[in-house]
Amino acid sequence: MIEVAHLTKRYPGRVAVDDVSFRVNGGEIVGFLGPNGAGKSTTMRILAGYLPATGGTVRVAGYDVATDSTEVRRRIGYLPESCPLYGEMRVDEYLRFRARLKGVPRAKLKSRIGEVKERCGISDVGSRIIAHLSKGYRQRVGLAESLVHEPELLILDEPTIGLDPNQIRLVRSLITSLADKHTILLSTHILSEVEMTCRRVLIIDGGRIVASDTPDRLRRRMEGEATIAAEIRGPHSEIHAALRTLPGVSDVLLEGADSWARYTLRASREADVRTAIFELVASRGWALRELHQEAATLEDIFVNLTKSDKLGIRS
Amino acid sequence: MSAFLTLWRKELTTYFLSPVAYIVMIFFLVVMGTIFSLLVSVLADGPAGVTVMNLLFGSPFFWMTMLVLAPLLTMRLLSEEKRSGTIETLMTAPVSDAAVVLAKFAGALSFYVCMWLPTALYVFILHHFSAEMAPPDFGPLLGGYFGALLIGMFYLSIGLCCSALTSNQIVSAMITFAVMLVLFLAGLMDYVARGDWALAVSTHLSSYSHMLEFSRGTLDSRPIVYYLSGTALMLFATVKIVEARNWK
Repeated sequence: MIEVAHLTKRYPGRVAVDDVSFRVNGGEIVGFLGPNGAGKSTTMRILAGYLPATGGTVRVAGYDVATDSTEVRRRIGYLPESCPLYGEMRVDEYLRFRARLKGVPRAKLKSRIGEVKERCGISDVGSRIIAHLSKGYRQRVGLAESLVHEPELLILDEPTIGLDPNQIRLVRSLITSLADKHTILLSTHILSEVEMTCRRVLIIDGGRIVASDTPDRLRRRMEGEATIAAEIRGPHSEIHAALRTLPGVSDVLLEGADSWARYTLRASREADVRTAIFELVASRGWALRELHQEAATLEDIFVNLTKSDKLGIRS
Repeated sequence: MSAFLTLWRKELTTYFLSPVAYIVMIFFLVVMGTIFSLLVSVLADGPAGVTVMNLLFGSPFFWMTMLVLAPLLTMRLLSEEKRSGTIETLMTAPVSDAAVVLAKFAGALSFYVCMWLPTALYVFILHHFSAEMAPPDFGPLLGGYFGALLIGMFYLSIGLCCSALTSNQIVSAMITFAVMLVLFLAGLMDYVARGDWALAVSTHLSSYSHMLEFSRGTLDSRPIVYYLSGTALMLFATVKIVEARNWK
């Protein structure tokens, strides 16, 4: 559905998007993740045909965004980050105007608008003036607008920003329910959102794609080495030395020097060293009160991929 | 085409939803109505060589009103879209930049025409309550309206162009006012400078004298070409300014 090849966007003195390439297949929900200012919105604006690229090509549904912009625009529903609406119009008026603009035939107008209003939960505010609506309603009006012409591709720039937790949940389930008919590319900097809604994640930082995979696989790939925490009572140096010699362990970190000390091990994921640790502790007569393998959260991955290079920190 | 019509309709609707438009309309009608009644009372005393409509369209009051009115009507057009960000959804809808610009212009012009419509009552009043216009003299009348339309087109297109330059309505209105004032003052060049060039500048640019001519019922092709080409130039410039985001 989307093919991006070597996309570059330069502003005077600044590269916003730097040689980005990725694909999104039909029917996917892809999360576009990155810190503020990473180039998410710029990329989405280019995809939507609002901004031209400095270099590279973008194809949506087989049409080039630069040369067949109108064909591309017919096929996408785009919700910008700020969710801009005409405040002086009523919800129904606005949806009608946008639907006509996007070429929804007059005969289908009523049913389409009714359907998107129903889907987005705004049926009860149809005759209200947009400026008087709450942020949550406005966001959903924006979402309804982007859906009104049944686009093949939805580009949603931070669709849940500024919503309260209930509304976020509503919008998320709405997005998930849209997946059967539409391809969705959504950007966010909220990680849990991606984990809940997206089947694939693109992580962008400093204008570059730094990772592209399913949340699960990203987690696994990231943690080629498992982190295992163990709290053991006994002679510290002896335990430390013994843990180091376990097969698969690459690093042991000791924290605390009381009778109980906390050891953080880095070990290969294949050789699950937790059994070995238990057996070791048992055979030497030490005491063990905690042993667990830390699951990398998407947050760790995100922090790792987007911060480590700049700040020189490796977790 | 259907996109243009949708946009045009939306623009016109937006005018009728905006308090600024009503204020402008009321202001305009009060000014025109006052002038009209004053002129009628002046002319009521005896026959004169001129018609009321001629004086109405040719009066400097009409002029001053236009200078205030055009910036107020156009300042919102593109700058508000930029400020609120709706330009982004507008430009990612399957419509061309030209369609957007033309629809905005057509919207403004339609409102301008709506604003003039009540003045048609003046003709009716004159026709029924005075001997002067029986039978009514349609030449000056149509000429006057035609001139008002032409000048309106030109000035509204200037305003539209200025509103494409900025995301601030006030700035847009000020630039429009400045440009119009320069054009207006250039039309008075022969009052302050001597020489053929000053006279040439005045005759070509003075909308005041153009209006006087139109409202006498004379159609000179030069001002018509001036206003139409000026409008076309301004609309072309506006489309280019809107497209300019693609050059960055």
